[in-house]
Amino acid sequence: MTNETLVDTSAPSAAVRRWRVVLMVLGIGLLVVGGLVLLADVSPKRYLGILIWFGGALIIHDGIVAPIVFAIGLVMRRAHRKIPFGVIVILQAALVLGAIMTGIVVPEILKKSIGTANETLLPLNYSTNLAVFYGVLLVVTAAAIGIFLRVIARRERAR
Amino acid sequence: MIGGGVQRFLFEFRRALAAPSRNPRMAVVLGRLLGFAFLVCFGTGLYSHFLQDPLPWMHFATRPVFLYQLTQGIHITAGILCFPLLFAKLYSVFPELFQTPPVRGIRHLLERGSIALFVAASLVEITIGLLNTYQWYELFPFPFRQTHFALSFVIIGSLAIHIAIKLPVITKYWAKKDAYDDAGEVRELDRDEGEIFQPAAGELQPVGGVTGRVLSWIDRTPEPPKPQASRRAFLTTVGISAAALVGLTAGQSFRILDFSNVFGPRKNGIGPNALPVNRTAKAASVIEKASAADWTLTVSNGDTRRVFSRAELLALQQYEVDLPIACVEGWSQTATWKGPRLRDLMDSVGADANASIRATSLEEGSLYAVMSMKPEYVRDELTLVALELNGDTLDLDHGYPARMIAPGRPGVLQTKWLTSLEVL
Repeated sequence: MTNETLVDTSAPSAAVRRWRVVLMVLGIGLLVVGGLVLLADVSPKRYLGILIWFGGALIIHDGIVAPIVFAIGLVMRRAHRKIPFGVIVILQAALVLGAIMTGIVVPEILKKSIGTANETLLPLNYSTNLAVFYGVLLVVTAAAIGIFLRVIARRERAR
Repeated sequence: MIGGGVQRFLFEFRRALAAPSRNPRMAVVLGRLLGFAFLVCFGTGLYSHFLQDPLPWMHFATRPVFLYQLTQGIHITAGILCFPLLFAKLYSVFPELFQTPPVRGIRHLLERGSIALFVAASLVEITIGLLNTYQWYELFPFPFRQTHFALSFVIIGSLAIHIAIKLPVITKYWAKKDAYDDAGEVRELDRDEGEIFQPAAGELQPVGGVTGRVLSWIDRTPEPPKPQASRRAFLTTVGISAAALVGLTAGQSFRILDFSNVFGPRKNGIGPNALPVNRTAKAASVIEKASAADWTLTVSNGDTRRVFSRAELLALQQYEVDLPIACVEGWSQTATWKGPRLRDLMDSVGADANASIRATSLEEGSLYAVMSMKPEYVRDELTLVALELNGDTLDLDHGYPARMIAPGRPGVLQTKWLTSLEVL
C-alpha cells in the first residue's frame, strides 16, 4: 500500500472540479459493477481467500520488497564515496532487471517442476534460460561499467 | 491521536525515503503509462469476455482473422508490462505511506482506503493473470476467471477515483515545462502546513534507541550527487526492464519475437501437429470415444437431421485455410486447417442464413463442451469443420476426428472432438 497525500492548497479550477465529479461518479459506478460481478459470479466462501491475497500483496510489497529496495539503495548511496555515481547507476539498473526477470521466471520453474497439464505448456528449459540470462546480464553490466570508466578516464585526461 | 514519538518517527522515516526519483512529476509520468496499460488490458479483456459470453445484440468482426490473436496478445503483453510500471509507480510514491498523521479525518481515511484497495487489487490482478498463463490454479483460493473479471472493474473504478483525487497534482505536473523550475529541479508541492506534521526547526528531538541510531546513520548518507541523472537513470531502468520482458516473452503471442522467446510459457511449433495444446484428449477423457471407428457428426435443423461419418465429411468439398489458434492465455499460432465449410454443412440441413448454431463436444462436464456460434461466424467462408491440421490428420489432442475453426475467436470456442451441430 502506498498512500500518497500531496495536498495542493491552491483552489482547483471549475474545470478540474467538474472533472472530479465526473470521475468520482464513474469510479464509484465501476466499483459497484465490480462488487455486483463478484456477488453474482464468485461464491461468498471464496471472499476470504481474495481478502487474504489482497492483504498478502500489500504486506509483501510494502512490508518486505519496498524496505529491501530502500536498504539496497541506501547502501549503494553510501558506497558513492568510493565508487563513481555512474557505476552505481549501472549496477542498480542490472539489479532491478535481474530481480524483475527472476520474479517472472521463477514461478514458471516451480510450476514446471510440480508438473503441467501437458508438455506443450511451459515447454522450455526455464532454469537454463534464466542462468543464461544472468550470465548475459553480468557480461553486459561489466562491459557497460568498463566503457563508462574508460570514458570518465579519457575525459579526466583531456581536462 | 498518536504519540509524538511515533509521529516524529514517521516524519523522519518519510524524510529518509526521499530520493530524486520520488517526486510528483515522476508519479505523473509513470501514472500516465500505467493508467494507459490498465485501460488497454481492460478494453482487450472486455472484448475477450464478451466474445465468450456475448450479449444478445452483439455482433463481432471476423476480419482481420488475427483480430483476437492481436487483442489477446496485447492483453497479456500489456499485463506483463504492468509489473515494472506498477513497481516503479509504487516506488515513486512510497514515502507517502508514512505520512503523518496517518489519518486526518473521514475524507482522508476514505482516500487512503481507496488507494489501499487500488494497489492491492492491481497487484493481485496482474499476479493471478501471470500465474494463469502458467495454469497454476492450485495457488488461488478463488476461481480465476470470475475474480480476474470482477477485479478489473474494481481497478478501473479505483483508477477513476484516484485520478479525481489527484487531479490538481496531475494537472500541475502533466507538462514538463510546469513541473520543473529554472534550475531543472522538480517544483515543490504546496502543502497544507496546518495538517501535516511539520516540526519547527530545532524542535525536532532525536528519536532514541536503535531506531534513532539507524535514522541518524541514514541522515549521514550523502544525497545522490546528480538528481537529474538519477531520474533519467530510473526511467531508463524501467524502460530496459519493460523491453527485456516483452522481448523475452512476447514471442508466444507475436511471431516476430519468436526467436527471442526464452521465457514465454508457450513456444511456437511445440506440440502435436507442430502446435501447442491447451486441453489434451486425455485430460478431457475423450480418448476412447474420439478414437472410435463408428464416430459420427450429427448436423440438425429442427426435424431435419444428417449424420456424417469422417469419411463422408472428407468426401465433401474440402477447403484449406490459414487461421490462428489464439488462446485466452495469450499464446497464439497460425496453422493450416483443412475440412468442409461449416456453412456447407448448415446448407445441407436447410439452415437459415441468419441462424446461430450450437456445437457440442464429446467432452462431458466442461464449461466449453457446448459452444454457441453467431451467424457472422457460421456463414464465414473461413469457418471450417477441420479434419486436417498442418498437412496431417488432426491429432487426437487437437480435436480428432473433427473440430471447429473460425476466424477471430478465442481458442476455447474452437470446439474440439465435435459430436453434434444444431441450428438454434
